[in-house]
Amino acid sequence: MAKTPKTAALADTHAPPISPILTHPSSVEAYQDLYNALGRAYWEASDIQSKDTVQGARDAIYDIITQLHQAQLEGNTARFIAIVPAIQSANAALKSIQTSIDQITKNISTVATVIAAINRILSFAGSL
Amino acid sequence: MPGKRISCTRPPLSGLSSLALLVLLAGCSASPLAKHTAAFSSATNLVVDGSENAYRATVRLHDQEQIAAAVARYDTTPNWDPHNIPVTHLIDDKGLEVRSLVLDGLKLYAQTLSDLTSHISSEKLDAASAAVGNHLMALSGNLGNVTSGGFTLSHTQANLASTAVNALGTFLASKKVSSGVPGIIKSMDPNVEAVCQLLNDDITILRRQSHDDYEQLLVQQDSFIRHAQGLSPVERRAEINKLPQIILRQQTTDDMLADLQGTITKLALTHHALAATAQNKNPESLRDRLGELEAAAQRLSQFYSSLPTS
Repeated sequence: MAKTPKTAALADTHAPPISPILTHPSSVEAYQDLYNALGRAYWEASDIQSKDTVQGARDAIYDIITQLHQAQLEGNTARFIAIVPAIQSANAALKSIQTSIDQITKNISTVATVIAAINRILSFAGSL
Repeated sequence: MPGKRISCTRPPLSGLSSLALLVLLAGCSASPLAKHTAAFSSATNLVVDGSENAYRATVRLHDQEQIAAAVARYDTTPNWDPHNIPVTHLIDDKGLEVRSLVLDGLKLYAQTLSDLTSHISSEKLDAASAAVGNHLMALSGNLGNVTSGGFTLSHTQANLASTAVNALGTFLASKKVSSGVPGIIKSMDPNVEAVCQLLNDDITILRRQSHDDYEQLLVQQDSFIRHAQGLSPVERRAEINKLPQIILRQQTTDDMLADLQGTITKLALTHHALAATAQNKNPESLRDRLGELEAAAQRLSQFYSSLPTS
């Protein structure tokens, strides 16, 4: 997965943790409803000053929603980390079976090699 | 049967079918998994690729929104500096790396499952078992030279020996699969479900955030048009034309993410079906087995036909 280019200096990513209450889906939805309502107000406003005022408030709500989303995604990161060992363990077990199956083919190849070696000896004996 | 030569004509295929039947009845129970592992592998590839694209696209979109917002502040910020645009990625590098690790692990799991259950009989096994028959035939000739009685193995007999060895190898491989893989699939089922749930949660957030990012870009563009005084009519029209295009991209992105969520749901269901089949809880198990029996017989027949007759 390609990382996004760092287009500019990163802002402070060590913001104080967000309360779980705020990241609860219903809290996010409440902010989202407000954001959407302000969006409708923006398009209904008939002059630039009113639009700017509405959007100023809407920008603040957008920032809050974004931080809540980032906190939720960070919480999911922790859950992803917890699941990595189980996947790695399953892949290791499958790899072990794959190796065992490869060994069966190798054993059959060994049988063929042994028969070929006996053949060479018999050929030599026949020519005596 | 010393000295007796058997005709080079092949024995009837029913003999080979019986061989395959023996192989399967002896415990080749892993084979019905093949259909489900193939479906699971395909669904996994779709989800992994789609998820990686989704993460990449939505993180980039959010970066674009922040840059566009900073550009909009240019006239009101005397010390505006493009080097110091505060961009906070929607998901940090660690978050992306972990998700990539999980997705790659899931892809490897699905691919290995598919390989194990669909390609038990490999080209290497075919080559090794054919070599056994050929060397046996040569051995019989050399034995005839050094012993008074001796015996000669015909091509047909050698091919039958090769096919028997091939069937034995396939049987042993199948036993390995049937004794180990179902347990792994069963233990992985809750993990696959958890990964799908996590991906689904992620995509829900990404859908909401990308909706808002596009909304912000839309208003920033609209605000630019309304505040711009020096635009010519043609330039103004071109800028206004960008507004519906932003909405179109917003809808397209959301459709893509919604489709991805649908595929993620299917992935979890496919793995459940796979786990059920692995535990022989699938009502179609018998039909699968019969289908696999036919496939195994056909495969052995094809291998037998591929062997040289002279």
